[in-house]
Amino acid sequence: MAAANPSVFLLMVNGQVESAQFPEYDDLYCKYCFVYGQDWAPTAGLEEGISQITSKSQDVRRALVWNFPIDVTFKSTNPFGWPQIVLSVYGPDVFGNDVVRGYGAVHVPFSPGRHKRTIPMFVPESTSKLQKFTSWFMGRRPEYTDPKVVAQGEGREVTRVHSQGFVTLLFNVVTKDMRKLGYDTGPADIHGIPGPSLPQGIPR
Amino acid sequence: MAEVHVIGQIIGATGFSESSLFCKWGIHTGAAWKLLSGVREGQTQVDTPQVGDMAYWSHPIDLHFATKGLQGWPRLHLQVWSQDSFGRCQLAGYGFCHVPSSPGTHQLDCPTWRPLGSWREQLARAFVGGGPQLLHADTIYSGADRYRLHTAAGGTVRLELGLLLRHFDRYGVEC
Repeated sequence: MAAANPSVFLLMVNGQVESAQFPEYDDLYCKYCFVYGQDWAPTAGLEEGISQITSKSQDVRRALVWNFPIDVTFKSTNPFGWPQIVLSVYGPDVFGNDVVRGYGAVHVPFSPGRHKRTIPMFVPESTSKLQKFTSWFMGRRPEYTDPKVVAQGEGREVTRVHSQGFVTLLFNVVTKDMRKLGYDTGPADIHGIPGPSLPQGIPR
Repeated sequence: MAEVHVIGQIIGATGFSESSLFCKWGIHTGAAWKLLSGVREGQTQVDTPQVGDMAYWSHPIDLHFATKGLQGWPRLHLQVWSQDSFGRCQLAGYGFCHVPSSPGTHQLDCPTWRPLGSWREQLARAFVGGGPQLLHADTIYSGADRYRLHTAAGGTVRLELGLLLRHFDRYGVEC
């Protein structure tokens, strides 16, 4: 029946938001959410989450570690609209207000196996110097009303951003019935990567 | 018909002398290819990096093609521009790369070039900005009239493209 000729395939993603590198900011927390196309639907797990607040360690690494779990399963009929994870990182400014420190997005990897991704984080920039000063003073920095726009390509041509940090994510991906439906996702990750590692400096 | 999904990101660019960069991208395919879903071209945000010299765009690419033949395999062409604080845009480089043909995730580094003009135009570009641009964007990805150009190297655009193929084995195609 359904097993002989599947029309739907499943994508199971688990992993963690491991750590961040933000040279200029401290006391950060992150939120994640998934953005996917119309043919996709989550079947299990959590689509969004908010992490704890982390401070830089006192040792020489100055590491920002969240170790925040991700666990979600999607079903779909079409790889178009492959899920992306959108991350927003927030932290306090000099006056104690919660301001955005970075947005970033990456597609969930599609070959089964273990994957590590380090993604750059950027913030929208104010248009004029006066706006920059006012937003710094009032604690209301430019931010996206819906962080999901970070996962889209349209409408980006009018935005100016600063990239100012990185977040490292680990994914384990398992798919079901993609091969039966005729999809070739390439070699599974045979090299493997070491487990959650210490945060390193700015990557290549 | 066989199907190809290109899912990935234009990560960013490095090695350019200017710092506020954005990229206009497009995909060109042959006649046997048909775009089923996704946008064929776009423009990234303008990024001014605070740390390091690499400008990061993280611009998502999600395309679904159906194809009847292997000729005209998709080519991604890029134009990197810089924008200064007054809002003027100046060309930083042109580049193209073929979408990879084996399934899986690939890290691509696309080199770029920009047309040099006469010595007068080069001097003007150093002082005032501007500089020659191509009239027809298809020279970026085709070799037809390239012999007329004299160019200099720009920086490198980094991309991560994942390729998902469907039904290629039915037609005996080895990828």
